[in-house]
Amino acid sequence: MMSRRRFVTRMIRASIWTSIFVRILSRNAQAKIVEQTSYKQFTHGEADALAAWCDVIVSGARNAGVAKFVDQNLSGDQASSLLLLRYLNANDMVGFYRKGIIGIDAESHHRFGASFLQLKKSQQNEMIAAAVASKMQVWRDPDPNFFYFISRSDAVDVVYGTEAGFADLGIPYLAHILPPKPW
Amino acid sequence: MAKISREKVEVVIAGSGIAGSTMAAELGEAGFNVLVLEAGPERKLSEMISSQIWSRRLRWAGPEVQETGDLVGAANFAMGWGTGGAGLHWYANWYRLHPDDFRVRSQYGRSLDWPISYEELRPWYDHAQVYFGVSGGKNPSAPPGASYPMPAIPISSQSAAIKRGFDAEGLTLTSNTLAVNSVPYDGRAGCILDGWCDAGCPIGALANPLVLQWPRAKRAGVKLRHNAYVTRIETDPSGSRATGVVYIDENGQENFQPADVVIAACHTIWNARLLLLSSNDKYPDGLGNSSGTLGHYFTSHALTTIHGLFKQETEPHTGVTGANTLCLDGYDKKQPAKDAFGSRAWLVAQAAKPNDLLGTALAKPELFGDALNNYLHRASSHYGNMTVLCEEDAIPENRVALDPSKRDRYGLPQARVINSLPQENVARSELAKSEGLRIFKAAGTREAWAGPRAPMHMIGGTIMGSDPTTSVTNSFGQIHEVENVFVAGASLFPTPGAINPTATLAALVFRTADFIRTNRSSLLP
Repeated sequence: MMSRRRFVTRMIRASIWTSIFVRILSRNAQAKIVEQTSYKQFTHGEADALAAWCDVIVSGARNAGVAKFVDQNLSGDQASSLLLLRYLNANDMVGFYRKGIIGIDAESHHRFGASFLQLKKSQQNEMIAAAVASKMQVWRDPDPNFFYFISRSDAVDVVYGTEAGFADLGIPYLAHILPPKPW
Repeated sequence: MAKISREKVEVVIAGSGIAGSTMAAELGEAGFNVLVLEAGPERKLSEMISSQIWSRRLRWAGPEVQETGDLVGAANFAMGWGTGGAGLHWYANWYRLHPDDFRVRSQYGRSLDWPISYEELRPWYDHAQVYFGVSGGKNPSAPPGASYPMPAIPISSQSAAIKRGFDAEGLTLTSNTLAVNSVPYDGRAGCILDGWCDAGCPIGALANPLVLQWPRAKRAGVKLRHNAYVTRIETDPSGSRATGVVYIDENGQENFQPADVVIAACHTIWNARLLLLSSNDKYPDGLGNSSGTLGHYFTSHALTTIHGLFKQETEPHTGVTGANTLCLDGYDKKQPAKDAFGSRAWLVAQAAKPNDLLGTALAKPELFGDALNNYLHRASSHYGNMTVLCEEDAIPENRVALDPSKRDRYGLPQARVINSLPQENVARSELAKSEGLRIFKAAGTREAWAGPRAPMHMIGGTIMGSDPTTSVTNSFGQIHEVENVFVAGASLFPTPGAINPTATLAALVFRTADFIRTNRSSLLP
């Protein structure tokens, strides 16, 4: 069992200012990673579309590597996956995301005649609002509202669910055991 | 491929979670030769990483479950995968069912009765709370029993903020009862209230099987085999005795494990499914299903969470994931209004991190962009929550079944859970939601809102009873038709009450272990 002393040491390490510094560094590093990244499941187009969608939901999700996070965790087995989707629909996780990304662009083309990536910010917001309100016009499968729920969770994970994200919110991390990496 | 036949043991247990590990430790210490088969991998305390993202690896990753009805979802969230099962990520809320929960049919003409009374289970509750280590204070609305071995966890800032609302409604908010050490206990550390229970407690302040049952079981010589998914229980040609279990190992190889006594302790859905899969010529509808009730009377708790932002700081990231405080006032009033039925309990001030299903971000799923960012910055220091659990009637239509049209990774029929909340329980749940919103408004929240109704806990499906024509097992979890097969876990409960099931599950395990000890000579040939 871990001792209380070890915990206190870690709590000090996880102080807010340290974490903010770490976050600035990691953001720069993550931006470089995203530029050079390769994907195991997604095409670059799919990854870009998912990242753009998530970035409208949670600002900073693209740079935090949300597409890589999802791709990486679709590449192993369910037991090693870090995605929230595993709680709710683990039957075909790759298909869920792939069909969702197709749905985003189908709806985008139907509404605005362009891909989601090419839309103005106000149009992207309109698309997300339609997913929240279950008012997509042509996108049916997977349920756009559920896809929004899951992709929003992924974006929240990478932006706010890490030690750096906690620091950004002013929350002491207070780890018993620190994660080996954010995700 | 021929099955590998293993060396015979006296007792084989399917499942290494709280029910299975407690049973294993008890029987091992009583001198039985015990083997536990765990479907998932070996777990260590070092895997209890303080992260809602990383903790997902502790959750179910076994065969798929289909869920249909209006009170289903997130079965994979509730179940565990690997040594200790769901016991590695449980919240340690520790409550006794109330006396009326054991006689709902007799008192109200609905749902079911238990074959035992509260008074019969009371000494086992007393025993279990010492074994697990429970913190708590006196609660006049709780059933009678021994004092808890540890004082209560201190009242949190979040509870203090919410308490004003309970006071205004004339309801008593008490300290919670938790299998979490408020002070060092039994060689385990006291809780440091860091709010990571949900991700596992590597310091062992929260009673989990890696620090509590498994050290005891291993000292007693109990063997544990991982990556061993039990697929059926075999009986002799007469059908009168079980001869052992079949399991699939990590190589996909079938093994036969002979045993004198077989115990299914693999969570509610899988207990029912295992018995259904064990059909044979003598038991064509499943082992223990002569009554036709196997799989039926599945229940859950209808959960609604109330959320709010408070003027004062609440430190929502600290405390325990289970709940800091509790309100059982009015629990025994099962008919709070015309056409509404069921008990309810308030679990108040749960520690919340930003992400995952119970996080502050998902408390307001409709927010995105700047609105989400602004909300999260406010919620990180001013958020408060509480959860109401409402009773669900036990009805035969709600059930665990096999779906022969869909196969799992082992080629076996998938488990299908069908659960819809009866209308009078819906009405009860709606009353509770209104009550919760009133409480939060009276507490002075800047904003209060309720989440959607959702299920919590999985109960029933292998119910106990006195009458073999209407139940699967007797009160010891021994299936009526085959005396050397037992079931352990919440799948035995005929009714769920409106409180978390683990204290009752544990009390029943101790009672069954005592029965097996006492009847050793007749159970072992």
